[in-house]
Amino acid sequence: MVKIEEYRNFFMAGSLILILIAAVPALGLFIRIPDGSERFSELWLLGPTRKAEGYPFDVQVNESYLIYVGVANRLGRSAYYRVYVKLRNQTQPLPTASNSSPSILPPIYEFDMFVRDDEVWEKPLNFKVLEALAANDTMLLKSLQISGFVFEVDGFSLWDEERLGFYYQLFFELWLYNTTSSSFRYHNRFVGIWLNMTDARMHA
Amino acid sequence: MSILRFLCAVMTFFVFAAFVFVSPILADSDQETASVAIADAEETMISAYEAVLEVEQAGGNVIGLLAQLNEAGDFLASARMSYGNGDFASAVYFADLGRSIGEEVENAAHELKDLATDEGVQRVWFTVLGSISGIILVVSGSLWVWWFLKRRYQ
Repeated sequence: MVKIEEYRNFFMAGSLILILIAAVPALGLFIRIPDGSERFSELWLLGPTRKAEGYPFDVQVNESYLIYVGVANRLGRSAYYRVYVKLRNQTQPLPTASNSSPSILPPIYEFDMFVRDDEVWEKPLNFKVLEALAANDTMLLKSLQISGFVFEVDGFSLWDEERLGFYYQLFFELWLYNTTSSSFRYHNRFVGIWLNMTDARMHA
Repeated sequence: MSILRFLCAVMTFFVFAAFVFVSPILADSDQETASVAIADAEETMISAYEAVLEVEQAGGNVIGLLAQLNEAGDFLASARMSYGNGDFASAVYFADLGRSIGEEVENAAHELKDLATDEGVQRVWFTVLGSISGIILVVSGSLWVWWFLKRRYQ
């Protein structure tokens, strides 16, 4: 004969587990378990075939070049980003990662975008050098066209003795709108491509 | 004859003076108008974004709203770049387009937030009631099984 009282504790434990399972959905509403995943954003550039290859480098005047700018949001909520496109020569400052400060150079072009959590935003960017002058060891990039807008950049570059050319860097800074401070803050991400404009010059 | 000459000279002077003094004033006024339009558009966009965040937190679907905001964001960026290039008329045009989309999004977000909040409250009730029903079922089922087994094996 089976003594049912001997199984009383097992039976109660089983029932308790079933009660807990039934209570999980309601408990989930009030108890938030942190998922432990890191919150961050990504910024990247792709070449004309939308792959990480074939980036423009040797630039000619009045030739159009295509790249893609991408941003991914892993912040756990929708975010309002701004990407500033800036141009520098070899000596002008880049953003500083150690203190999260952006480059002091003024932006030429910009994108404003809203990206959902775990979503990606990508857009093409066409650029064309319209006028560049060179005299001796100095080059002056006078105007640049980016996605239909013409900009008077007046950016100079000195002859690079090591790489034998005039170089400029087109770089992209990621900024994020901060709802607490109600302002855009540099998000400590930047990417860029070097452009060799030696063949784009017209002798002054 | 000399009076006529004098009048001509005075007229010519006023015409030149108008070009010299009025043009910069009009240009300043255009710049001011563009600057105000951009500031308005920026403010609207931020309000719209904050309203969308509230909808998202309430559990609402914000895919469509964010797509519209992206369109407005393109206009706003174009407005700022036109302004930087001194094209104030285009800056006002783009800023107004951005602002009007931003306003639409903000209004839609407020409506959606109320809906999402109501749905959220309903969801909470369903979940809580479902859990309570489940617990009642488990407890009564366990008691019944225990009672049945006890009767059978004693």
